[in-house]
Amino acid sequence: MKKFGFILLVIVVFALVGCNDKPTPETNAKADQANELTLAIGGEPEDGFDPTTGWGRYGSPLFQSTLLKQDSEMEVTYDLATDYQVSEDGLTWEVTLRDDATFSDGESVTADDVIFTYETAKKSQSVVDLADLENIDKKGDYQVAFHLSQPQSSFLYTLQRLGIVPEHAYTEDYAENPVGSGPYQLVEWRKGEQLIVEKNPHYYGNQPVFEKLTFLFSGEDQALAVAKAGEIDVLSVPITMANQEIAGMKQISLQSVDNRGVMLPYPEPTTNEEGEEVGNSVTSDPAIRKALNYAIDREAIVDGVLNGEGTVAYSSTDDLPWGSSEIAIEDADQERAEQILTDAGWERGEDNIFEKEGQKASMTLYYPSGDQMRQSLSLVFADLINEFGIEVITEGASWNEIEQEMHANPVMMGWGSHDPLELYSLYHSSMQGIDYYNANYYQNEQVDQYLDQAIHASTEEEANEYWKLAQWDGNTGMSTLGDAPWVWLVNLNHIYYVRENIKIGEQKVQPHGHGWPITDFITEWQVME
Amino acid sequence: MKKNMMIPLFLFLTCYVLSFLIKDTISLELTNKNQAPSLSHLFGTDWLGRDMLLRTLKGIQLSITLGVVTALLSTSLGLLLSLLAIVHPYLDRMLSWLIDLFLSLPHLVTLILISFVLGGGFKGVVIGLMLTHWPAITRVLRAELLQLQTMPYIQISKQQGKGFWWRARHHFLPHLFPQLMVGFTLIFPHAILHEASITFLGFGLAAEQPAIGIILSESMQYLSSGMWWLAFFPGVTLLLMMLLFQRFANAFKHHLERDRSYEHYFNG
Repeated sequence: MKKFGFILLVIVVFALVGCNDKPTPETNAKADQANELTLAIGGEPEDGFDPTTGWGRYGSPLFQSTLLKQDSEMEVTYDLATDYQVSEDGLTWEVTLRDDATFSDGESVTADDVIFTYETAKKSQSVVDLADLENIDKKGDYQVAFHLSQPQSSFLYTLQRLGIVPEHAYTEDYAENPVGSGPYQLVEWRKGEQLIVEKNPHYYGNQPVFEKLTFLFSGEDQALAVAKAGEIDVLSVPITMANQEIAGMKQISLQSVDNRGVMLPYPEPTTNEEGEEVGNSVTSDPAIRKALNYAIDREAIVDGVLNGEGTVAYSSTDDLPWGSSEIAIEDADQERAEQILTDAGWERGEDNIFEKEGQKASMTLYYPSGDQMRQSLSLVFADLINEFGIEVITEGASWNEIEQEMHANPVMMGWGSHDPLELYSLYHSSMQGIDYYNANYYQNEQVDQYLDQAIHASTEEEANEYWKLAQWDGNTGMSTLGDAPWVWLVNLNHIYYVRENIKIGEQKVQPHGHGWPITDFITEWQVME
Repeated sequence: MKKNMMIPLFLFLTCYVLSFLIKDTISLELTNKNQAPSLSHLFGTDWLGRDMLLRTLKGIQLSITLGVVTALLSTSLGLLLSLLAIVHPYLDRMLSWLIDLFLSLPHLVTLILISFVLGGGFKGVVIGLMLTHWPAITRVLRAELLQLQTMPYIQISKQQGKGFWWRARHHFLPHLFPQLMVGFTLIFPHAILHEASITFLGFGLAAEQPAIGIILSESMQYLSSGMWWLAFFPGVTLLLMMLLFQRFANAFKHHLERDRSYEHYFNG
């Protein structure tokens, strides 16, 4: 009897499994029935949808619109503004607004709202950096003048990122009930589950094709399963899941500056004002830093760890207008790396690891333990470098622990922004130890000077010139050719699955953060017949 | 009888010793990644081309070491506390209360709390496991000791002026030895499974350590892309090892508890 029961159980289990095995995908996606889209691109913003505290840094703010924006070629174009003028001395920026823009509640967007937005953002002292903004003048109902305390070329990028909020509807819970002049308005946000938005009838720009968007915030596995059942139109997946075939969806792999690299502590070991340990006796030697950069085989990492879904990185700004193209090096050149080390007095010890005056070329590389991509990169980096002759011990830790160690030990970090200000934050000596910026305490007077000149340049071209000089001026710089305070490894591609009949058009090089940036041009998405 | 005991033990120890032959860092072969199980890689390879058989054996080694250490510590703690219990009725009441308290809490919850407070890692897990696995054995030992205390020969020994620790060493310990052994063998697999589960949940060993729990939680991300072997073989191996040990423990228990009164007839 017992045996019979067991057999029955087996049959039942198999029958159940069998049922699940055959999903019946609805081949006609929701996209073409009611002009609705379901997106599972993750990245639910914890702080809500308030641009003055950081919403919309990556991609479009969706509910709000900005004064200027970037097109897919990274050229600056107008959005809410119709014109902007920078004064000769670079201190005054006059912006003229379009007069036909309204918020989703029907009120028109005026100079007062712009002034209110910038003042609120300045007061909140969040990720939006407006320290140089002195005051804002109202020149008319649709004209404002921003007065800066010193010329700041990067202000151009602030104008592109800060969504305008309405003065009359900005309440305590604005982050949860955003009202703005963007292409969509919020219908419902169930935290941790989904966000439903619908078309803003008052939007002044290109009318988006899709009436309603639903953003699902589920785990990656769950989203993938739902996508396979034909319920999702746009899905973002991590690179590790990029080998999927999903019926009715095409894979889109977007190039990015979402980079990963090893940050190397720059100074000799010492302590900072807060008593934290700073610097590392091994990585403070420029020969070690350069040897690491030359010995590593970036191509092998792209192929091996990223399955080819990425590009090699030589800087944090590859392929951006302010990135220098001269700084690419020939890597995977162990002979050259060995030469650099021998010239600097390092010799191979008995265990094949380099030594110099009793100091072993050994370091501990930290990575955030929850991040499988960074873990894989760290393990492979360590493996390749150990083979070459520099000992790298990997250690996974929480971000809290890493904050304790990051000034004195190499860390696997990631950056990548559409704002050149990031270069300043990463390499300028005044940013030493501020948040995660310049955590390796890099300092080079000449580079500081170039960075200051870049930020205070009055035109974009001039600024880009200085950004490039800071990387390498033929003599010194912060790139691998110069001081090499980083070993930049790879730029991760961002992988999306998109329903076959949806055309998302040209995308710009994607920034750090996988998900929201794809919504940047959502107003231009089309359904193909 | 002997065979029942020796074969599982032998297999178990072989695996353990084998795992010591593997060097600490398992080499990465990026050209060989994501391989399904084959003859050259019996358990397949992971997303960095590491051989899963080697990783699993390494994980088993860590698990067993951890299991032995915690089982020893918990048993010793249990013995110590149960001895204290018979010193004074007041202590006994306190101990009973403590045992009830710990037994009324789910193991895993207490374990996560303790391990988390201690910052995880090997130390955190060992202390957490020790502090959660002592009550069951302590209760058994305490009952045994209370009964022993009333035995005539103990009473006589006491009347003759033998001190508490003398009695503990010469009367209690030999009597408790089978209980201790059984308790040890029962705690051991329990501890290992608990270690694997809290590590899997992310409160246990660091991601660096080659533990089975780590391997299982890592593989979760790859299950949906069809790489079933990453979770299947390590899980089955862990289960098999536990079953082997359980077999041994059972046989050992029977061996210890066998009725010796007839033995001399057979052995002559």
